[in-house]
Amino acid sequence: MSDKIIQKKDLPDIVKSLKETYEVFAPVKENGFYSFKRLKDEQGIDFNLTNTRLSPKSLLSPQSERMFEFNLDEKSEDVNIVKESPKDYPPAVIFGIRPCDAKALRLVNVNFDNPEFKDPWWVKRMESMTFIGLGCNEPSNTCFCTSVGCGPFNEEGLDILLFDCEESFFVKSLTDKGEKLLEKAGINKDADSNIQKKAHVLKEEAEKKISSSVPTKKLSEKKINDLFNAPFWDDVAFACINCGTCTYLCPTCWCFDIQDEIIKHQGDRIRNWDSCMFPLFTLHASGHNPRSEKVQRVRQRFMHKLKYYVDKYNNGVACVGCGRCVKYCPVNIDIRDVFKLMNDL
Amino acid sequence: MHFSWISSAEAGKFAEVATEVIENIKKIGPIKKLVKERAEVA
Amino acid sequence: MIKYSETIRKIAKKILEEKSVDLVIGFKKGTLPLMTEPILINDAEKTDQLYWDSFCSMNLANYLPKKTEKIGIIAKGCDSRNIAVHIVENQIKREQLYIIGVPCKGMVDRRKIISFLNGKEIHEIIESDADITIKGEGFEHTLKKDDYLQDNCKTCMHRNPVIYDAIVGDLVEERKDPDPYDEVKEIEGMESEERWGFFSNIIKDCIRCYACRNACPLCYCPTCFVDESDPQWVGKSIDPTDTMTFHILRAYHCAGRCTDCGACQQACPMDINVRYFTRKLNKDVLDLYNSEAGLSIEKRPPLDTYRPDDYDKFIE
Repeated sequence: MSDKIIQKKDLPDIVKSLKETYEVFAPVKENGFYSFKRLKDEQGIDFNLTNTRLSPKSLLSPQSERMFEFNLDEKSEDVNIVKESPKDYPPAVIFGIRPCDAKALRLVNVNFDNPEFKDPWWVKRMESMTFIGLGCNEPSNTCFCTSVGCGPFNEEGLDILLFDCEESFFVKSLTDKGEKLLEKAGINKDADSNIQKKAHVLKEEAEKKISSSVPTKKLSEKKINDLFNAPFWDDVAFACINCGTCTYLCPTCWCFDIQDEIIKHQGDRIRNWDSCMFPLFTLHASGHNPRSEKVQRVRQRFMHKLKYYVDKYNNGVACVGCGRCVKYCPVNIDIRDVFKLMNDL
Repeated sequence: MHFSWISSAEAGKFAEVATEVIENIKKIGPIKKLVKERAEVA
Repeated sequence: MIKYSETIRKIAKKILEEKSVDLVIGFKKGTLPLMTEPILINDAEKTDQLYWDSFCSMNLANYLPKKTEKIGIIAKGCDSRNIAVHIVENQIKREQLYIIGVPCKGMVDRRKIISFLNGKEIHEIIESDADITIKGEGFEHTLKKDDYLQDNCKTCMHRNPVIYDAIVGDLVEERKDPDPYDEVKEIEGMESEERWGFFSNIIKDCIRCYACRNACPLCYCPTCFVDESDPQWVGKSIDPTDTMTFHILRAYHCAGRCTDCGACQQACPMDINVRYFTRKLNKDVLDLYNSEAGLSIEKRPPLDTYRPDDYDKFIE
């Protein structure tokens, strides 16, 4: 894979030529915060952010998506036939995704794309997308990616990784998809050893700047029942108001709920993000709810991410240290504290 | 919204008010806001 | 204001030791500079975790409904009014509570501070009575707290707790003539289409996390109307009509009961100004029934009492 260099002043033209082949998604600032949006014709790249408020997982798995539709009109030909809703999967570029969010997509991938089950919508979207990552020169003080198997310049899940070297970007191509994009965008100037060195230094400095860390080494050896019955859950869970903030902002949360909405004769089978924090999450049709109490739900979320996932996939915790839940939890429940409590039990 | 007190002994008033409300609704026309024809989702 | 932490700890320790309460609900210092975390303490030895500063914006009355224990609870003006509402609505009994009242000069809005810093990160904040000093990488700013108060605090007319068993400091002077409804009047003056556009714009980022609803002490229904499923009353997707329905109806359910504590707005992860929905209804109830929520545990709320002089000009 090749290493290239692009001048920042050439970026608008590069984006313009990318738009000829791809739909370009990049962080856009609206209402005071950034989200990944499809760049409109005149919009350019804005990299003045630490990270987007919502993770880019909504590009792969939209918060609300119509999967199937059906017609209940007895008079029509296709009555009662459930049809897959037509969708487009044009080639797309996710420009400026952070390494933590890119790794998160790989983590979530084990759920939506594995030998047993393949979610066709997720799979098709992943195939159509090329991920251009932007390494973090200035991590936030709530970032703790380095202790959960990631880092400010981690390459997992990316097709290209950009290093912001002030006047220019060092462009590291990591996959065939990445190579193809460089070709399509006309990025062909090879990187010299100077910029390569600079990029290397940037990476090391950034990793040192990560000031927050969590202990994870003992999580896999702990007994599930010991963690489950630990005495600290009441304290951890008290403040929780059981909203969906942590789950919806988290790049590794993947739970969803499928519902039919029928208005007159039109039926839609819709998938919505769901949250284990909501009381209805485990409500059975019988009326029984195995997680009716708040403490059970809070415990479930942390056990899932920091224990069950660890045991099941042998690939570390289901957390990439992006820090969104820490920053936006209305009552300041801090997952970093829970890491400590669980690891050090 | 239209509120009126009408006793069951005031059949004439009931007919009047009902007619008035129906006329007013027809004048306003079909509801346009807060209507969901189909979920606006991806 | 700074001394409050000490006083709160003293009172909490005493009431736990005396066993006049089984537990104390308060705040502890957050893991982030601008946050605090609600905490439950049932051990007199652990009361030094209790903490108070100008970022204690969550409404602790939210944690009261359905509790059966004897509870010591820290309450600023708005919180105490919500406790009164809970008592009137039978969600908790007065005898269960030992209310530790906090005269409040207003909570600082962390979003306004974050916005002022424009992306720079905070390492430390130091509060004094009137100022707040913010330190970060290569900068230090001292700001007047009054310039960065939460919007609801800027026009608060009940800064002192309306009901309490102990008070942690001297009562503060109430504001003379704030107008909590000036923005509401502005919106009332808009044409219908403009107003619809205004509200549609506010909620376009809503992710239906229900942080606003769950942070609100008034929202304690066993099954919220958005969670009703047999039949389903409101769709669960981010369809704009369903989202608008949620916000409008929730505001109506809080009409006459809302104390404008601002917890809903502070909880929202998308910075939505939820209070635009609730304040109009507060104003209407004040105008039509001359009533504000939670000022007394003797008075029934206006919407559940019949009075012969109730406003009835809407009946043709």
